[in-house]
Amino acid sequence: MNEHTPVVLVLDDEVQIRRFLRTGFELNGFTVHEASTGAEAIRTSTLRPIDLVIIDLGLPDMDGADVVERIRSWSTVPIIVLSVRSSEAEKVHLLELGADDYVVKPFGMAELLARVRVALRRQSRAASGEPTVKVGPLTIDLAARAVMLSGQRLTLTPKEYRLLQVLAQHAGNVVTHQHLLKEVWGSIHVHDTHYLRIFVRKLRQKIEPNPDSPRILVTELGVGYRLAQDPDNAWTPPPPAPAATAKPEV
Amino acid sequence: MQTAILRESARDDVRGVVFAVLLVAATTLIVFGIIQWVGLTRGSVVYLVPVVIAATRWGQVSALVAAALGVLCSAFFFYPPAYSFEITDPEEVLNIILYVFCAIVVGQLASRLKTQYELSRQREIDLTDLYAFSRRLAVAFDVSEIHAAIQDHLAAMMQRRVLLFSSGRDASERRTAGATPDPVLRKVAEFAAGCDEAANEATVMGDDGELWLVRSVSAKNPDYGVIAINLGLASKEGYATLRGRLDTVLADATATLDRLGVAHAITEARMRAQTERLRDALIGSVSHELRTPLASILGAATVLAAAPSLQNDPRLRDLAQGVREEADRLNNDIQNLLDATRISSEGVKPYIEWADPADILHAALDRCSRRLAQHRLAVDLPHDLPLIRADQILLQQALVQILDNAVKYSPIGSEIAVKVRAEDEHMTFSVSDQGAGLTDGEQAHMWDRFVRGERHVGTTSGSGLGLWIASAFVAANGGSIAAESRGPARGTTIFLNVPVTHSAPPQLESDEDE
Repeated sequence: MNEHTPVVLVLDDEVQIRRFLRTGFELNGFTVHEASTGAEAIRTSTLRPIDLVIIDLGLPDMDGADVVERIRSWSTVPIIVLSVRSSEAEKVHLLELGADDYVVKPFGMAELLARVRVALRRQSRAASGEPTVKVGPLTIDLAARAVMLSGQRLTLTPKEYRLLQVLAQHAGNVVTHQHLLKEVWGSIHVHDTHYLRIFVRKLRQKIEPNPDSPRILVTELGVGYRLAQDPDNAWTPPPPAPAATAKPEV
Repeated sequence: MQTAILRESARDDVRGVVFAVLLVAATTLIVFGIIQWVGLTRGSVVYLVPVVIAATRWGQVSALVAAALGVLCSAFFFYPPAYSFEITDPEEVLNIILYVFCAIVVGQLASRLKTQYELSRQREIDLTDLYAFSRRLAVAFDVSEIHAAIQDHLAAMMQRRVLLFSSGRDASERRTAGATPDPVLRKVAEFAAGCDEAANEATVMGDDGELWLVRSVSAKNPDYGVIAINLGLASKEGYATLRGRLDTVLADATATLDRLGVAHAITEARMRAQTERLRDALIGSVSHELRTPLASILGAATVLAAAPSLQNDPRLRDLAQGVREEADRLNNDIQNLLDATRISSEGVKPYIEWADPADILHAALDRCSRRLAQHRLAVDLPHDLPLIRADQILLQQALVQILDNAVKYSPIGSEIAVKVRAEDEHMTFSVSDQGAGLTDGEQAHMWDRFVRGERHVGTTSGSGLGLWIASAFVAANGGSIAAESRGPARGTTIFLNVPVTHSAPPQLESDEDE
C-alpha cells in the first residue's frame, strides 16, 4: 500500500470546499476523487481503490452518519468527518459508528493533513502488524506489553496499561470516553467518566515528561482522549516513509 | 364593591346580636347597682347607650335587638312592680314608647354613619390599590408582568387566592403559588384555548374538596386571560354571594384594564417578544449561511499559504496568512453571534459530568494558542486539584472568551497569567493581563449584551458579546464571574468561580498489580 500515491475520496456538497481540498491534497501528493452526494460516494468507494474517505456531515441527500455506517459495513478504510463545533454528542456518535477521527469546520489544510496522515499510518501499521507505537519520548511495545519513556521501562498497573494499550491501538486518532470505559472497565461502566479522569491523571504522571502540560495523552474535551502522534513521525507520502516506521522482522 | 360591603354577612349579624345582648346585660348590671346604691328608679333612658354602641359597631340588626332587650329589661327590673314585665303607671308606658322611638332613630342614624364610614374607608383602600395597580402596569415590561399585576389586583379585591392564566395557544400558568389541582388546570386550558365559546365560566371541584371558579376575565377581550379563584370549602349559598361580588370586581377590573390601555400594552409586549425572536432567528440563519463560504475561504487560504509557488515570495505568503487570520476572526464573531442567539432563544442546557479542571484549562489554552502566541503566558496550575461537576465545554468556551479579551486588550509581548485555585466551596480560574484595565463605568456595564468599552470601539474590533456569553456559560454551571482592575491601563483580572462538590466521585475498584 505504501508504494502508490494515496487516494482520498472527498464527499462534500459545497463545490468550493471540494476545490480547496483537491488542491490541498494534490499539492501534498495525494490523488483525489470527489463526490457531492452520499450515494455517489458510496458508489465510488465500491468501484475504486480508496485509501481514505473524508465526509462532510451536512449533505443534501442523506445523513453523513448513514454514509459512515454504510461504508463501514464492508470496508475498514479510514474515515474522517468534517463537523461543526458545539456538537460533541454528534462527534461521539460518528466515532462510535466507525469514523476514525473528525476535524471541526472551519479548519486549515495542515490540520486536516495531520489527521489524514495519522489515520493512514494507523491503517498501514494495522496491515503490517507492526507492534510498537512511538509518541515523542514514549514507546509502547504492544507485543511485549512494555512501555518505555526515554529508554526507561515504566511500571504500569494492569488498568493503566490497558488504557494506554487501547489508545495506542488508535494512536493519533481520538478514542471516545465510552469506548475506553468499555474496553478497560467493561460495558456496565460506560458512563463513569470520572474513572477515566482519575486514571488519565495517574497515567499522565507516569508517561508525560511534564504532567502539568500534557503533550502525549491529549484531552479532546467532551469527546475522548487521543495519543498524540507527531505528524512528522507519521507516515508521510510520498514514500519512502521516515525511519521511525521500523519494519518488523520476518 | 358597594354591594359587597352593604351585604352584611349572616355571621357578622350573629356576632353583633351576641354583643348587643352582652351590652344590655352589662348595662342592666350597672344600672341595677346604681339604683341599689343611689336609689334612682327610672333607668330606661340609660338603655340608649347599648343601642348607640351596637348600631355604630355592628349595624342595625344588633341595634334593634339591643333596643328590644332594653325595653324588656327596664320593664322587668326598674318599673314597678319590679321583677315583672307588667307596667302599671301610664306615664311609664309613654316613657317606654318614647324610648323605643329614640332607640330606633338613633340606631338607624348610627348604623348609617357606620356604613358611610366603612364605605369611604374601603374607597380609600380601593384607590390605593388601584393606584398601585396602575403604577405596576406602567412599569410592566412584558405580558407576564402585566398578568402578574392583574392577578395580584384581583386577589386583593376578592380576598381569595386567584390565579391568572394568559390566554392564547401558549396558555401557561403565570405564577404558581402552591399547587393547583389538575381539573382546574384542564378547565383553564379549555377556556384559554377558546374551545368552549358558549360558556363563560365554570366551577370545578379540586381533589381536596375545594371549589374553584374558572372564568375568563372579560368576555370581550380574551387578552386579559382566564382566572381561577379558590372559593375554599364554600357552600352553595356562600357561592352565590361570592359570585355577585366577583361579577362586580371583574366588571370593575375590566373597566380599569380598558381605561389603562392594558390590551394595548399586552399587544405591544407581545410584539416586542416577537421582534426579539425574529431577530434571533435572523442572526441564526445569517450566521449559518456565512459559515459555509467562510470554511472555503479559510481552507483555501491555508492551501495558498503552504503552496510551493508562494513559499518563495514572503509578501504573498503573508497575504495568504492574513486572509486566514481575518477569516478566523470573522469565524469567531459568527460563533459568538450563534452562541448569543442560542443563549437567548433556547437558554443554556449544561451537560454536567465529572471533569478535570486541568483538562478544561488546557483545552482552552490549546484553542487560543494561535492568538496567545505573541504574549508571554504564565500558567499556575496545582496538580492536586479536585475533579469538579461541570459542563467542561461551556467552561472551556467561557475561558476562551476571557483569554481572547486578555489578548485583545493588552500589548503584544506583555504577560497573561492564568491561575487555578481550589477553595472550600469553589474553584477559581483567574486570567490576569497587563492591558487596558477598566474604568468604573466599564466595570458597571462590561457583562451586558452588545456593550463595548467606549475607549476601544475605534481601535479594537469585537461584537460586545464575549463577556456576556462567558457569564451566561459560567452561570449555567452554577458559577459566577467577576472582574477586578486597578484602573485604566493597569491591567484586568477576571475571576471565574465554579462550585466544588463535596461529595467525592464514587470510589474506583482497586487496581493494584495482578
